[in-house]
Amino acid sequence: MNKLFLSLAAAGCITALSACGSSSSAVTAPDGKLDKCTLRFSWWGGDDRHEATLEALKLWEKKHPDITIVPEYGGWDGWSEKISSQISGDTAPDIMQINYDWLVSFSPDGDGFYDLSRLTDQLDLSAFDEDVLDFGRMNGKLNAVTVSVSGRGFFYNSEVFRRFGASYPETWDELFALGKTMGENGVYPIDLDIQSGGTAWYLAVVYVQQTTGRQFIDMEGRLGFTEEDVRTALDFYKRLEDEHVIRTVKTRSDEDGNAALYQSSKFIGGNVAGVLEWGSSVGKYELALDKGVLEAGAMLKGENGESGGWMIKPSVLYAVSKDTSYPDEAAAFMNFMLNDAECAKILGTTRGIPASKYAEETLEANGLLEGLAHDNDEMLNELDTVTISPYMEMTRMKEFYNSAIEKVSYGETDTETVAHELYSQMSRYLEKVAK
Amino acid sequence: MKKHNCRNPVGVSRYTGLWLITPFIAGFAVFTLYPFISSFLLGLTEYDGIHSPEFSGLYNYKEMLSDSGFRQAVWVTLKYTFLLVPLKLAVSLLTALLLNAELKGMGIFRTVFYVPSILGSNLAVVIMWQFLFTSGGLAEQLTGMAGLEPVSWYGEPDSAMFMIILLRLWEFGSAMIIFLNALRDIPAEYYDAAKVDGCGSVRAFFSITLPLLGRVMFLNLVLQVIAAMQEFSAPYMLTGGGPMNGTYTIGMLIYDEMFRYHNAGYANAVSWVLFVLISAIVTVLFAVTGKSRREDI
Repeated sequence: MNKLFLSLAAAGCITALSACGSSSSAVTAPDGKLDKCTLRFSWWGGDDRHEATLEALKLWEKKHPDITIVPEYGGWDGWSEKISSQISGDTAPDIMQINYDWLVSFSPDGDGFYDLSRLTDQLDLSAFDEDVLDFGRMNGKLNAVTVSVSGRGFFYNSEVFRRFGASYPETWDELFALGKTMGENGVYPIDLDIQSGGTAWYLAVVYVQQTTGRQFIDMEGRLGFTEEDVRTALDFYKRLEDEHVIRTVKTRSDEDGNAALYQSSKFIGGNVAGVLEWGSSVGKYELALDKGVLEAGAMLKGENGESGGWMIKPSVLYAVSKDTSYPDEAAAFMNFMLNDAECAKILGTTRGIPASKYAEETLEANGLLEGLAHDNDEMLNELDTVTISPYMEMTRMKEFYNSAIEKVSYGETDTETVAHELYSQMSRYLEKVAK
Repeated sequence: MKKHNCRNPVGVSRYTGLWLITPFIAGFAVFTLYPFISSFLLGLTEYDGIHSPEFSGLYNYKEMLSDSGFRQAVWVTLKYTFLLVPLKLAVSLLTALLLNAELKGMGIFRTVFYVPSILGSNLAVVIMWQFLFTSGGLAEQLTGMAGLEPVSWYGEPDSAMFMIILLRLWEFGSAMIIFLNALRDIPAEYYDAAKVDGCGSVRAFFSITLPLLGRVMFLNLVLQVIAAMQEFSAPYMLTGGGPMNGTYTIGMLIYDEMFRYHNAGYANAVSWVLFVLISAIVTVLFAVTGKSRREDI
């Protein structure tokens, strides 16, 4: 009896497991009509983005009273884990704001999200350049549409700089000089986190890309850096700490605990005078200080004027779940969020400068194309930027960077050993996951 | 018409009992048995949580042997368990002894002491801990007043672990309630008789209270060991497993592998290793305390 019971239980589990993975479920075909329905839309971001998006949803409901949108939103921390469990459990929202690397993680063969090229009756793609649309293509299928293209840039607390009579740095040397000047008063010119954002490694990569001209990882997931480049990046990071440009990992932990930098009393109180942040997400830092205090600074250059190495990527994209029962309605909503003039005015630059020409033109015509995201965008446009590989952004890769940075910061071992370990980890992992 | 007799006094059908326990059996099958067996089977596959799993035999278990992150997580979890559990038992027993005194308003104290256990390691508590233990916080002020050097609570692996232990110690309510109930079950006559024979309160504690609490002590020990070995939420929210993975428990590793790295096959295999580890520790505890527990009966 026991044996029979166990066998039956195991057989039941195996049958259920064989249905694991949602690739087998049928995709609902578009029917060209907009039916009465309720859709779920999820996004992450700061309060500025939440407030603007909720306002945009009110406008949508006015225009489409038959299609109710249920918002699901929160901060970035833990968001990818939440979406990951929803996707694997076939309970993903109908429309999702997604991160660039999720395309590689969730849809390596292009079947992880709805193929938006089937929904062009509702979704107007004429507002997007072909190379911008390419960001969202996996295996030839349009899995997502880029909302904005953005890069990380420096944003400074203007009051602190005024107090020191200092101007924003334009070269790496000027940044290190500020570390000395401000350091004498216990102030750090910038800070970089090693949490989920991983800005510490990002800046080190920019520096090495600028000095060597080599791209860290290419779009196919091949490592462009040599082991020596990795070591240079780690040495550069260590120098930032040693010369009081940024806080050490230990100091940051002691002062902030596990809190994000924009919630740190040291940033809010002016002991940290600058941050490196995506133009599309800088709103949360801006809100933490008095209005107009945070200002965009220059993208740093080498001593001989080298300005390359700075990176851009689709800051966020919109995708439709392949399990949605209402693809037409989801596409119509996505079209509203991307192209609708009134919606664009409400959303402003809370997700960066819109990639949709219609939305961008609306903002320009209404004098709304301004602010930190715009300043950052303008500066990046003047540079010969590198497009970030989605493989660089993968969570496991970020864990490798952060772990290496932590070892260097704590002085657990020399940078040569850490560089060797990091290089081996990255090579092995990329070999496993890259195309 | 059902027959009423001695063996069937209320005249129910022979299947009624089965029907009555069906909701429990169904819940157990769906929420315990199914995940239990399926996690074992998934541990034998390569599975990203999205596509169909592919059978890979013992690959995940072999991977674990060479995974330094896994070894570190096992070490951290064991260290945490062996530090926390004795401390928690001591604190909860001591508090239970104090709250066992028959004083006016003791009910209020018993409620108040249980409150931290209801709060758990939620976000508000985590923020409170952050205020207490970051630089300039209350902990630093207290150590300063005592003339001690400030402790780097978040910045050093050992002190970060101690901070998490303090959070869990603060939630001693459940263990305390179990002790308190057991204390109230000890007949007062034992103490009266001992007092007549000239026994002091310390001697009475070691010769009467502690021996009579043996089985309850064992119950609390097993419950606390299981909870500590499965620790996830406190380090996840307080330290993120850092610094230097010094608070990175097996629970955090399972979560990360499952939801952050999409390595569900490996996560399930690690869950089974955790299950075996907990079973082994509990078995050892049963074996070591076997004789004294039998004597209690």
